[in-house]
Amino acid sequence: MQRQMRRAMVTALAAALFVPLLAACGGSPAAPASGGEPQGTITASGAFALYPMMVTWGEEYQKLHPGVQFDISAGGAGKGMTDALGGQVDIGMVSREIKPEEEQKGAYWASVVKDAVFPAVNEKNPVLNDLLRKGLSREQFIDIFITGKIKTWGELVGKPEITDEIHVYTRSDAAGAPETWAKYLDNKKQEDLLGIGVFGDPGIAEAVAKDPLGIGYNNLGYAYDAASGKPVTGLVVLPVDANDSGQAEADEVLDSKTKAIQAVASGKYPSPPARALNLVTKGKPSGLVQDFIQWTLTDGQKFVDSAGYIPLTPELLSEGLQKVK
Amino acid sequence: MAHDTRLRPPPDRAVLSRRTTDRLAGRFFWLIALAPIALILVIIVTLAWRARSILEVKPLGELLTGEVWKPISGQFGFAPFIVGTVWVTLTTMIIAVPICVLCALYLSEYAGSRVRGAMKPLLDILAAIPSVIYGVWGLLAIVPVVQSTIAPALQQFLGFLPLFDSKNPTGFSIFSAALVLAIMVTPVIVAVTYEVLQTVPHGLREASLAVGATRWQTIKHVVLPKALPGVIAAIVLGFSRAFGETIAVMMIVGNVPQMPRSIFDAAYPLPALIANNYGEMMSIPLYDAALMGAALILLLVVLGFNLVAVLALRQAARRAV
Repeated sequence: MQRQMRRAMVTALAAALFVPLLAACGGSPAAPASGGEPQGTITASGAFALYPMMVTWGEEYQKLHPGVQFDISAGGAGKGMTDALGGQVDIGMVSREIKPEEEQKGAYWASVVKDAVFPAVNEKNPVLNDLLRKGLSREQFIDIFITGKIKTWGELVGKPEITDEIHVYTRSDAAGAPETWAKYLDNKKQEDLLGIGVFGDPGIAEAVAKDPLGIGYNNLGYAYDAASGKPVTGLVVLPVDANDSGQAEADEVLDSKTKAIQAVASGKYPSPPARALNLVTKGKPSGLVQDFIQWTLTDGQKFVDSAGYIPLTPELLSEGLQKVK
Repeated sequence: MAHDTRLRPPPDRAVLSRRTTDRLAGRFFWLIALAPIALILVIIVTLAWRARSILEVKPLGELLTGEVWKPISGQFGFAPFIVGTVWVTLTTMIIAVPICVLCALYLSEYAGSRVRGAMKPLLDILAAIPSVIYGVWGLLAIVPVVQSTIAPALQQFLGFLPLFDSKNPTGFSIFSAALVLAIMVTPVIVAVTYEVLQTVPHGLREASLAVGATRWQTIKHVVLPKALPGVIAAIVLGFSRAFGETIAVMMIVGNVPQMPRSIFDAAYPLPALIANNYGEMMSIPLYDAALMGAALILLLVVLGFNLVAVLALRQAARRAV
């Protein structure tokens, strides 16, 4: 009786010890089936700017190859880069230029689509009409976001009697939009941007939409509402006076997503804050991931417009294709 | 005597092996129990190892007291983050502790069983809400109210005190974060305080009431002194929770790497630093080492506070018996 119980206990113990071990050994990721229909899971993380595009591509690619699963998450360009280099994901979505240090660590990238960062204020801004009429020059943005020389909305538009303070918002998480916005402002870095740090692209839109004296910046997809094509409720996209005329010309007033896309595609909107969005892999991609990235650069491009992004020039696309092939 | 011989097992081989098994099992469980402790050590060693490259370049003193955080220009001052963490945590505790202790006293000493039965599950629900929900709620509900009402009102009446005077025009501030955190630590502090109060023997209360003391006198002179170390432990546990909370704080505290001077200033606590910048680790030299160093500091502080709590709780248990 005792022996039996002891034996039972030993068996149970052994089972308790080894079952998790066995479970840990199994479950290797599905590899693409050689030759036949591609199968497996593609994981991606990173830029908020690229997230909606990637989701669309994932869905469309899955229609062509039902055996492929996608696992896509947004968390900022920096996270995408770190995850891709650290091997946590197959593809990092990075909405800024790739730094030389990252290339050294094995970052291999292809630009897939174009996007831009747009400055935005609250619709109840006290000097909204002046802002929309004149636009803001690069120097004025520098004085707001980098040096902090301009402190009130009145100073900004030359009406010293208006003493409402400017509430500057910036991104707290390491991301492509602030990097690109800072690059536009005298080649600065994200850490040089002044302001209250808010987490994520939707976070900064929310903060500015709630604060009548706020100013911030957003990627195309978060500055404009996808359904209506107008700026997100509560936000007004500021005209960037690119030609320093002191006037906001008709093509600089970006009150709809269509106009914003046209301005970026035609090059009227400066670059930066317009920039290419990149897919990053650790080393040259192969197998399923390679096939997917090639597809985004060729057939996948026909979904760029409807997803609300700006296509790259054919030269840039074929350059990317050369790199991936 | 006859009893004894019957109880003592006959000395044959089966018994010996039974003892051996028992001893083996004891050793085995000891090893398993050791694993969590070993895990903490492994984490500390890993963090210290990954942080070593920045310690080789910059002396620890300079890192801890430096006030400028510009990693790209090679300036890694942790002081704003450490001071920011302390500000947020202390403000949280000042708001939460009186309310939580009084709440636990009410539940333990005054409330009838029906109220108690209703309140306890509610507090447990509060503890079960994911912190990101507290963060979103703070962003939508607390930040605008602090910006439009609380901060201007307090600045108007108490603005002569530097503590309440701030140039930060937004509601993203230490005070907003502390308000949300205070709600988050409430279940922890109330639950532990309540349990500690329950360990005070009923006889003591009855004796005190029997000599004519009121309920409040009984609480003040008998129950609380007896339970004090346990209450302190509860507060310290809440402190650790507030100290390490990341996502909810990060969404409302403003994340400006500066030395705060007022509760309405924005701050940048350590956990937020790590979570926000985890992404840039790979691209800037020494950045990953600096973040690992920040994680190490955070871990050591939280460990320290938990140790204090455990010791205080042990003291409380000894006193209560």
